[in-house]
Amino acid sequence: MAAASGYYRPGASWLHRRNPVTKLLALLLVVVAAFLLPPISLPVLLALLVVLAATCGLAGAVARTLRIPALLLISILLVNAFFFPGATNRIAGVGPFWITSEGLAFGLNAAGRLIVAFVASVLFLQTTLADDLLETLISRGVSYRISFVVLAAVQMVPRLQERAGSILEAQQARGLAISGSFRVRLRALVPLIGPVLLGSLIDVRERTFALEARGFGALPGRTAYRRVADPPLDRVLRPLLLLAMLGVVAVALFGLPRF
Amino acid sequence: MSEAAAAGNEAAGGGEVPAGTGLRIESASVRYPGRREPALIDCSAVVGHGEVVGVAGPTNAGKSTLPLLAAGFIPRVVRAKVGGAVLVDGTSVVGTRASAVAGRVGIVFATPANQLSASKLTVREELAFGLENLGLPRAEMDPRIDQLLARLRIEHLADREPFSLSGGEQQRVAIASIVAMGTGVLVLDEPTAQLDPAGTREIAVLLGELARSGTAILCAEHDPIVLGGTVRCLLLDGGRLVIEDLPGAALGSAVLAARGLATPTLVRLAEAAGLPPALVFDEAAITVALRRGRATAANAATGATPTSPSPPGTGLTAAEWRPAADRPGPAVSIEGLVHRYPNGIEAVRGVDLSIRAGESVAIIGQNGSGKTTLIKHFNGLLRPTGGRVLLDGVDIAARPVNQLAATVGFVFQNPDDQLFERSVERELAFGPRNLRLGQAVATRNINAALAATGLTADRATNPYDLNVSARKLVALGGVLAMDPSLLVLDEPTAGQDDRGIARIGAILAALAGAGRTIVAITHDMEFAARTFGRIIVMRGGRVIADGPPQQIFAASGADLLASAGLEPPPAARIGARLGMDPVPLDADELLSRLS
Repeated sequence: MAAASGYYRPGASWLHRRNPVTKLLALLLVVVAAFLLPPISLPVLLALLVVLAATCGLAGAVARTLRIPALLLISILLVNAFFFPGATNRIAGVGPFWITSEGLAFGLNAAGRLIVAFVASVLFLQTTLADDLLETLISRGVSYRISFVVLAAVQMVPRLQERAGSILEAQQARGLAISGSFRVRLRALVPLIGPVLLGSLIDVRERTFALEARGFGALPGRTAYRRVADPPLDRVLRPLLLLAMLGVVAVALFGLPRF
Repeated sequence: MSEAAAAGNEAAGGGEVPAGTGLRIESASVRYPGRREPALIDCSAVVGHGEVVGVAGPTNAGKSTLPLLAAGFIPRVVRAKVGGAVLVDGTSVVGTRASAVAGRVGIVFATPANQLSASKLTVREELAFGLENLGLPRAEMDPRIDQLLARLRIEHLADREPFSLSGGEQQRVAIASIVAMGTGVLVLDEPTAQLDPAGTREIAVLLGELARSGTAILCAEHDPIVLGGTVRCLLLDGGRLVIEDLPGAALGSAVLAARGLATPTLVRLAEAAGLPPALVFDEAAITVALRRGRATAANAATGATPTSPSPPGTGLTAAEWRPAADRPGPAVSIEGLVHRYPNGIEAVRGVDLSIRAGESVAIIGQNGSGKTTLIKHFNGLLRPTGGRVLLDGVDIAARPVNQLAATVGFVFQNPDDQLFERSVERELAFGPRNLRLGQAVATRNINAALAATGLTADRATNPYDLNVSARKLVALGGVLAMDPSLLVLDEPTAGQDDRGIARIGAILAALAGAGRTIVAITHDMEFAARTFGRIIVMRGGRVIADGPPQQIFAASGADLLASAGLEPPPAARIGARLGMDPVPLDADELLSRLS
């Protein structure tokens, strides 16, 4: 069921009503800012996203998706906190290992950046219909091939998740213990990566066949049945977002202006 | 099916017939890269506008290659070496650009959900997708879509979400979305493989109607309901075209038995009744002829009954494979089971069932009737929203799935959800290792499971290098190697040819013989009637009938079955028409009782 709309949650919030390209630009801006600006910006960005989600009634839905990268985030934090190479400033010890302040800071930064990028992406996916994105990209002259890759990527994550769930079920049904310690869980997850990707490739192949059978990308001059709204507000927002992006890059290159 | 047959036959007289010759395949050969044997050898066929031509044959016969080639997918999308020519209305489609093929020939595959673009919110938008790609002006789209919806009688689906439709509905939408483009040639590869009997009939009727309005249709199929409605049928074996004739002749015992293939039940009965090939799929004619010929039926029956129910060539009988030990299976009790998914859908709505130790039970019902949800409770993959599940009187609520795995083996419908190792042998070893069966027992089980599934020669092969029917057997083998006392299977025969079905039947018979409990979901009524002593019918999340196959498939239960999108197997249908009570379950029984 998830396949049709991916993470999309039908709604009419002000974020839902934005043009997909506007939202794509905003997403890009947030991700670039998270990775280029100094770490102090991360809590600000995260707070901004939370407010944004709340105004669309999606705060809870976004929060629930955070369990997907939770394992990755925790391991990034732990590995860096304990084993940051060359770190000397010990804060606390656990058994034979030490948490270092350098490691903790680095781990927090890396995890924070990923959280911001993830939350922004989820917000984008939950308020943007994949099909609308495809239509706008094509109507703006993006090639069929690239548009399809974007569409497939958007639909890929929920499908990978679904498939990983199925294989996990199959492994349990054949006696694999997956509840239990962190190590047991991790050991169960690693062998999944191959078959999940392989299965998805088979899936993508069949989908490609379906699109191919309907002549997707076969002829120039594609027309559009569905009309994607581009309200006046979007036409104002897009240049502003581009400006902001330039600003972020400038700050990253030259530092904050001094007055 | 007589509807579909009639539609196909009187097609020439039907609506507007596009100019040209339809589909013409001339001495076509195909060899896939890395394969020594060609998949298709020197195959020729012609499908005129207004004709439905069927393609039949066992697994690896070239039955899927021919549609891919005809639709221009080989070599443009699927790489292969091609010889010969394929022409659609006079234009070559082999190796030509997509633009030359778009809107002229379209193809539909087996998995309903994968036939849709996956990004549309309504059927109407789905149908518009092809028109967009052809660059049709937007103003012309709605009238064209409305006209098509009416013509295919699917107006009621227009505003539904494609992914909420049943498999049969999805396939009809997939076909409609190809036809919407004005495509004159339609190619299908096993379009009913995953459909219930009602969905299969819908497709058979639709193909007949499309032909009547001028479409040329080439359909690779296994189901006699669809093949019976074709004007001609090609039989492929080992990549070669064996015969092209009326379906009643191409699927006749003279052709099939010589190749070790099973003859469809209706064909056997028609032959026994002495009917000409043109009337082979006409159930009324078969009934009349059998009734009239009752006196002489004894001779005809013995003459036309060359084999046992399992076709020759499977190389396996129940006696050859034995489970590790004669171990009694558990009794299963389901008490007031309700299951509601997080999205609020209540898939099982109060089921009470008691399955005795060592019983073999089939569960039948339409797609979406709650069958899979029900059986996923047997090993704890799903937990009840209400009610209890007991194995040998013990509630399994507190037992984790992996512990239950020592008792309950579960074979999923889609093998690709289940296979994750890099060789067949490792795949089979996964379960025994988790159960800590010990090296000697594990090795014995794995070898027995390899032999039973016919995969011994492929033990080192990566499962993903095998075709889907073999992958299904790998999935089954992985569970057999754990030697479960309760075996639960979801659609074990889907995608299998007669040999595969006979093999699976023999394995289940051997397990039942060793006292194991078996529960299987199936769409295959003949398989259900032949293999299981008890059949449970589900509709809308409830059990609506439960009894031995003779009772479930009796004439008196036909309406109830129909309400669940099902129908009795062919022998029971004919038997009921002949007034037999209890109804016969296969052709052998029907013919022996007539004589």
